[in-house]
Amino acid sequence: MKSIPIEWTSLKGLGEGLAKGRFSSVELTQHLLARIEKHDGAIQSFIHISEHAMEQAHASDRRRRRRGAILGPLDGIPVALKDNYLTADMPTTAGSIAAGIAFGAEDSACAQRLRAAGCVLLGKTRTHEFAWGTISPPVSNPWDIERIPGGSSGGSAASVAAGFVPMAMGSDTGGSVRIPASFCGTVGIKPTFGRISRVGIVPHSWSLDHPGPLTRTVEDAAIAMNVLAGYDPRDPACQDQPVPDYAAGIRASLKGLRVGVIDNHFMDRNTPDVHAAVTESIAAMQSSGARIVHFRIPLLAYGLAAIYAIELASSGAYHDRHIASGVSSGYQKDVRDLVEMGRLVSAVDYLKAEQVRTLLCEEFKRIFEQVDVVVTPTEPITAWKKGRQTLSVAGVDESVLAASWRLTYPFNLTGLPAISVPCGFDKEGMPIGLQIAGRPFDEGTVFKCAFAVENLLNLKKKPVLA
Amino acid sequence: MTLHSSTFGQLSKHIATLTGTSVGSERLLEVVAAYEPILSEIAKLRELNLAEVHPAIIFEPTAAYRSAA
Repeated sequence: MKSIPIEWTSLKGLGEGLAKGRFSSVELTQHLLARIEKHDGAIQSFIHISEHAMEQAHASDRRRRRRGAILGPLDGIPVALKDNYLTADMPTTAGSIAAGIAFGAEDSACAQRLRAAGCVLLGKTRTHEFAWGTISPPVSNPWDIERIPGGSSGGSAASVAAGFVPMAMGSDTGGSVRIPASFCGTVGIKPTFGRISRVGIVPHSWSLDHPGPLTRTVEDAAIAMNVLAGYDPRDPACQDQPVPDYAAGIRASLKGLRVGVIDNHFMDRNTPDVHAAVTESIAAMQSSGARIVHFRIPLLAYGLAAIYAIELASSGAYHDRHIASGVSSGYQKDVRDLVEMGRLVSAVDYLKAEQVRTLLCEEFKRIFEQVDVVVTPTEPITAWKKGRQTLSVAGVDESVLAASWRLTYPFNLTGLPAISVPCGFDKEGMPIGLQIAGRPFDEGTVFKCAFAVENLLNLKKKPVLA
Repeated sequence: MTLHSSTFGQLSKHIATLTGTSVGSERLLEVVAAYEPILSEIAKLRELNLAEVHPAIIFEPTAAYRSAA
């Protein structure tokens, strides 16, 4: 592949290279497969590599030659899907090895859209079992293989961060796209609830699950969203809203952008390195012409209660047949505990959680009447060493789950679009993410802001793989 | 204070009946123990008077017709 560091080339750059015939999809796919073969033994981001990948790459090259044109910007580009997306030609396990768990061999809506766009579906990435956790064992973080990648889309984030694929699909129920994006130094967007079809994704919590792509640049996430977003009547939550060209208007400046900062909950209990990186990013945005407006949402004190009640009850309902039949006894202990406690959530507590959710949506609506985006840290911490069950964040001990989804779940409860974009590194060289959220179905403004921040901070560091 | 094993059994059976859970008695006590710290968080919802707030779930009778489109 000459001297081009093809593994670090953006989705956009790869698309242009393929369109101009600088390399073929076969060459690109072979290169990435060789890189995975060489380095994924240590990272373990993939659970399955497609035996049909090269066949798809050949088909893409033949089609491009025959047509004399590309299908679109993703034509011929290898991508990966989290192992909770059903696929017709690859097995799906949702990260579970429990006896009695089996999923259909059919394409999820996202797999269908990616295939139709000409993508090579290279493989499936590891997930925390049933997308219920933020550690994703046995995946390692490419920045330090002794650390967790985050989760539950840990394999997707690690595969993108390691230069195995330029884009991988994740799913986000309490932060599972944005948490690993932050920990692995990638971009990850959870679009508005109802923006991307969930058909063919193993359910976790019906009203909280959001599909979303992980990429290495904001523009790449916008390009991916152009393919993924759109109405699907098979998904009862999917909304028939116009889909703009997210990549077309992305190069806007920050001048005049109104940026909200929510001082409680999001800004008051983070590690010093995270706090410094995020406040410096906000200051840089202000210096570039953004207007910063500060808010407080006292109701967020009830957010953890609300997401626990909704997520546990929903997941308990989904897994009820497996609990009754004893299949859940084969789940990993942390996941088994969480699904089996779903029956203990009372119906009244569940509905009160849904009432809190209504109030939270109203609080954010009030804020978005005054600002265009809200910025927060994605995570209060950076990726920790494997094996920890609790963390101390700014002097408070909490479970790894409670700590790692604290800043992300508010946007699952409200369904608002939110992206994580790298904004710095801690003293040990681990990535820090900035979260940018917007109004419902206004991913366009979120992308514009994230693109401007990415260019302003201009972080170029990449993980060095052994 | 330690409960007698038969009391444990009765308690488990009672919880299982009330919640409809199908896990065994010993396992149920493990699940309850794991749930306790989470319940202390969920219990905060009980402080709130939300009688005037509609839950975020909205029943939509046209949904079945929409999916058939």
